[in-house]
Amino acid sequence: MKILLVEDDATTIEYVVKGFAEQGHNIETASDGHQGLLLATSMQYDLIILDRMLPQLDGLKVLAAVRATGCQTPVLILSALSHVDERVKGLRAGGDDYMTKPFAFSELLVRAEKLMHRGQSQPAKTELAVGNLVMELLTRKVTLDGNEILLQPKEFQLLKYLMEHPNQVISRTLLFEAVWDYHFDPRTNVIDVHIAKLRRKFEELGFGELIETVRGAGYRLRQGN
Amino acid sequence: MQAIVSVKGIRPYQSSAWRITIIFSGLVTLIIGTLLFGMYRQLMNEQELQLNQHLAAEKARYQQMALTLDRRSFATQIRNADPKVALVAWRNSYDLVGALSLMPDNMPLLPQTRDFPILTGGPDKLHILTGGLVMTRYGPVLIATRTDQLATLIERFVNAAITAMMLTIVLTLALGYLFSKAILRRLVQYNRLSRRIEKGEYSTRLPVSWRQDEFDMLARKFNRVLDTLEDNLHAVRGATDNIAHDLRTPLSHLRIGLEQLPSKPAHELDEACAILTEELDHCLATFDAMLSLTRIEEGQQTLELQPLSLHAICQDLYEMAEAMAELKEQQLTLQLGDDATVTGDKYLLFQALFNLVDNAIKYSGEGAQVHIVQQGKQIIIRDNGPGIADEAKDKVFDRLVRLDPSRHHKGTGLGLSLVKAIISRHNGRISLQDAQPGLMVVIDF
Repeated sequence: MKILLVEDDATTIEYVVKGFAEQGHNIETASDGHQGLLLATSMQYDLIILDRMLPQLDGLKVLAAVRATGCQTPVLILSALSHVDERVKGLRAGGDDYMTKPFAFSELLVRAEKLMHRGQSQPAKTELAVGNLVMELLTRKVTLDGNEILLQPKEFQLLKYLMEHPNQVISRTLLFEAVWDYHFDPRTNVIDVHIAKLRRKFEELGFGELIETVRGAGYRLRQGN
Repeated sequence: MQAIVSVKGIRPYQSSAWRITIIFSGLVTLIIGTLLFGMYRQLMNEQELQLNQHLAAEKARYQQMALTLDRRSFATQIRNADPKVALVAWRNSYDLVGALSLMPDNMPLLPQTRDFPILTGGPDKLHILTGGLVMTRYGPVLIATRTDQLATLIERFVNAAITAMMLTIVLTLALGYLFSKAILRRLVQYNRLSRRIEKGEYSTRLPVSWRQDEFDMLARKFNRVLDTLEDNLHAVRGATDNIAHDLRTPLSHLRIGLEQLPSKPAHELDEACAILTEELDHCLATFDAMLSLTRIEEGQQTLELQPLSLHAICQDLYEMAEAMAELKEQQLTLQLGDDATVTGDKYLLFQALFNLVDNAIKYSGEGAQVHIVQQGKQIIIRDNGPGIADEAKDKVFDRLVRLDPSRHHKGTGLGLSLVKAIISRHNGRISLQDAQPGLMVVIDF
């Protein structure tokens, strides 16, 4: 996948470029608004990651200009402005997602991949499988090693999100957004509690290690063997 | 006075008050002029009427005389006519009889009149007479009367009118000048004070006099704005101080952790890094909470307003908190009354309410009961935990106050301040009450 990163901070550029390169993505960078606009409108990308505060041309103006040319490439706004109204402003201007700095690369990756795959019409999956964990989406039946597990709706949604991103570290914020339709940092253990319940159900079947806690980052669903 | 003129470079005649004065002065002059002109016309008409009546009476008298007297007696009468009443002249067959020594030509018949000059031997040599002819049995008789007093009267009147108008103009302009100077004096004072504010003396206030005029209203309004600004400034300063204070501890932890990192054995590195990241995230969370608190309190954050059903919000609250209560073996109940709609920011409001439920679950201990009760525009979150002592109830809404001295529960100490700020922005009221035992948080929209 080809990604354009418009960002002026060298440390962030290095961090993001290294991360995406390791994942096998092709990433190009622009360090100011003009250059970013030029590249975004002249080349074809699968995703544009755009900083808000850019030299020469503000990120939102770049976004508006890009959208004005009819370009529909997904845009992820990356910004140090964290307030809810800034987020709303960014999304209104035509952004597809919004992340505040500082951020964990793992979360950026999940969000970026979600946006890049959005346009591709994949055949609707009816089943998710990670190792011996299988989720039937239509009947909402979950089996682990052949044994059925009864899940509550929120647990089901959480597990589904984790199964869609196996072996990836998923932040609490991402999980929170996936399950509840609210955008705020709950700053509480609500996600941990639900994960703990899920984990207990797995434990009963002897698979307590399936969901791994990554300290300081989030959770990861391990690919069973 | 000199200072006023020179300090700001605005002179009284450049002010708007002066402009108004000019307009006002012009208007007054015009009105007075019109009035005087009307009076003049009235006077003239009156005088003319009197003159005509006088001449008509004389005309009738002489016509009567001509009918009743013989030619000689008529001539005598004319000769003896009192010049104060009328000047009369009659052309006899051989000479001119009467007060005039010549008969002007082209005199019209009364009641038409004509003005004509005559010369006399007196000090005022030239006089203006007004008169006309009367046809009698003995021929035309000229009847005239002096009108030069009338001319003098008119002249005096015109002079007086001009003087009055000049006085009006001079007086209004002088008053206007003083007036604009007085206004400017206050404006310049305001100007001087705002300069001081501009320089950072935020405690400066404009003087308000006892007069309660528009300037005092302006000054009072301005002072109110200054009050708000000063408060906001203090709030921002307070927030900065708080941030500095409350972030010091986690930051110093971070510093220590980083310093120790190189000496850690390899297998502990991951764990140590994760702990540091968590510490850092906590700093950021505190920082964010401070900023949003200040922004919400000062009304800088625009709310995304939409109609919200309290039923829906409470259901979401219950759903989200259920598992948390379960983990602590608490009983969480939801009790919904009549639904009500409030206009508000969905995320902020939910965040505030969730914070309260979260607190109830966090602090009420294992096995406690937590109730979410909604009735109309009221939401009550009640628990049967230890509650909060009465004297501490006001304090908990202050920034960075945590009643748990050990700081065992991880938090920013901003939760309740933020809750209060959010509820206030939604024109709601929040109060803490005793649930005996436990705490009852009552929110009214």
